[in-house]
Amino acid sequence: MKEVLLNPQLWAATLAMATPLALPALGGTFSERSGVVNIAMEGIMLIAAFFAVVFAHATGSAWLGLLGAMIVGLIVALIFAWAAVSLTANQIILGMAINIFASGITAYLLNTMYGFTGTPTDTPMLPTIDIPGIKNIPFLGQVLSGHSVVVYLMIIILFISDYFLFHTNLGLRLRAVGENPEAAETAGIDVIKLRYLGVALSGILSAMGGAYLSIGALNSFNPDMTSGRGYIALAAMIFGKWTPFGSFGAALLFGFATALSMQLQNTAFSKNIIMMLPYILTILALVGVGGKSVPPAADGVPYTPKK
Amino acid sequence: MKKWRVVLVSVLILLLSVSVFLSGCSSKTKQESTQPQTTTQEAKNKNFKVGLVTDVGGINDHSFNQMAYEGLQRAAKELGVTVNVIQSKQMTDYVPNLTNFAQQGYNLVIAVGFMMHDAVEEVSQKFPDTKFLIIDSEVTDRPNVSSAMFKTEQVGYLVGAMAGLMEKEKVGKVKGTNIIGVVGGMQIPPVDSFIAGYQQGAKAVNPDIKILINYTNNFNDPAAGKQMALTEISQGAEIIFQVAGGTGDGVIKAAQEKNVYAIGVDADQSYLAPDHVLTSAVKRVDVATYDVIKDTLNGNFKSGIVYFDLKNEGVGIGKVNKDVPQSIIDKVNQLAQDIKDGKITVSDKVSK
Repeated sequence: MKEVLLNPQLWAATLAMATPLALPALGGTFSERSGVVNIAMEGIMLIAAFFAVVFAHATGSAWLGLLGAMIVGLIVALIFAWAAVSLTANQIILGMAINIFASGITAYLLNTMYGFTGTPTDTPMLPTIDIPGIKNIPFLGQVLSGHSVVVYLMIIILFISDYFLFHTNLGLRLRAVGENPEAAETAGIDVIKLRYLGVALSGILSAMGGAYLSIGALNSFNPDMTSGRGYIALAAMIFGKWTPFGSFGAALLFGFATALSMQLQNTAFSKNIIMMLPYILTILALVGVGGKSVPPAADGVPYTPKK
Repeated sequence: MKKWRVVLVSVLILLLSVSVFLSGCSSKTKQESTQPQTTTQEAKNKNFKVGLVTDVGGINDHSFNQMAYEGLQRAAKELGVTVNVIQSKQMTDYVPNLTNFAQQGYNLVIAVGFMMHDAVEEVSQKFPDTKFLIIDSEVTDRPNVSSAMFKTEQVGYLVGAMAGLMEKEKVGKVKGTNIIGVVGGMQIPPVDSFIAGYQQGAKAVNPDIKILINYTNNFNDPAAGKQMALTEISQGAEIIFQVAGGTGDGVIKAAQEKNVYAIGVDADQSYLAPDHVLTSAVKRVDVATYDVIKDTLNGNFKSGIVYFDLKNEGVGIGKVNKDVPQSIIDKVNQLAQDIKDGKITVSDKVSK
């Protein structure tokens, strides 16, 4: 056990597996804090993962791939927001519809654009970053340094998110809209606009998570490669009590469970039980082992402005 | 507002149906005869319809679904039969997808993958006049079902021997930890037969070698495959055999980043990373698909199990990396000959 815990790869894998969960979980925090349940994050991640490869390959720049993916994610999120916020459609059904659509359209575009041999092997990848100073420290350097640039962007976004949500006026308003839209409107806050903002942020961050999978960790797209991470991100967000640091912590925990199950498979334990670890943890999270989670009061409830 | 909601719902329904339609029929191949006058034989072939139902990996998996698709395309081109593909999105799609083809009067319906066993049993009973081919699973009690089975333990043995010899002789990127690894998709027979052969082959040439065996539990999560491979590399593995479909793309990426070797599976995957793919354990699903289509077209459909092995070139080694010395290639070729001659029998069960 000791050598498992002292293997830097365990902790590096934790961070790498947590990143594509933490980004949509942070996004989901914004969306739900404004009162919109966005389960379409899974679909947005998948579409973004695909377009990240498309733009990266077409322009020859992984950065433009990331940017393109974020724009596509934003567009899908705005369509979702239009239907969910402006037209007060059922958010869950809408989200599922987008997820099914995402799965179909990406598989279709993959075949029509690149043929059945898949995305081109010369697609550029986002760079990995070696942190000077930390890089050469044994153990710590192997854990923290050398990850994809998206991992570090995620950490920066985490701090900005927390500051924005809890230390700015706009963040306060966003939260007010998710708790009590009537009162917020009475106070002169534009509920609809802020909900669009919440959903838009969730779209952009989910898209980053998707792009990480396709051009951060790899340089190719596979059908359904998000493998339900958008949903697990929702669980992480709930486990994290709708806060950025909580979501990040929960994402790390899920990442750790996955990394640990990878390390332990070669030990004497039953492989099947070890591989259940991340899912057992998800269930525990959702039944409230980490303390009671109270969602924003108006979470998932469409709002029609009174005037 | 009411009107908008009606519009919204209609748009959504339209989008959904389009996406389902597109993903299903994306690979429809129209057969247009180049000759103005078609002979009766050509017309007969054109009326012979073959439907392929893929497993959830889809035809871009760089792996067995893709190979089946290639075999289908070849049949369309060379035999002039009409072909169509439906890609399964999840396991619950198997029965509806197979039924769909059978109902439309397809002559031969091909189910790609072990996971479709039960679905084929169910649908083949309902449509006794339709012929079915299932790849990787044995359905023996139906007169209208043919099962293509691959002796993949044989090719697993050969790539295992190559890995074992590379470790023994410390050539190329191998430093000589004497540890090799496997990343499997799921713990199911068609995956484990490769792994079983790999174990036996490596041990046969290098008895002290250590083999790490891990599963990711899915076939379409390359990010997890990459971390799994990195974990094995951190535990000392220098050659990693991926038997994980689309997940395996991540294994090859990890090998490339850490400058070790990966071994491809099903298709010849050398092109994915020419310097870092040692070789590939090729399973000629394309040959099996093509052969059965041809036999069925000519009225020679055989129910029961058809085996594909080294002897009939149903399995074999792919392109070999330039780092592998000729002496090792020769030894592996000798082992292949021994298997063909029956001097070596390879078990398809993974030992602990």
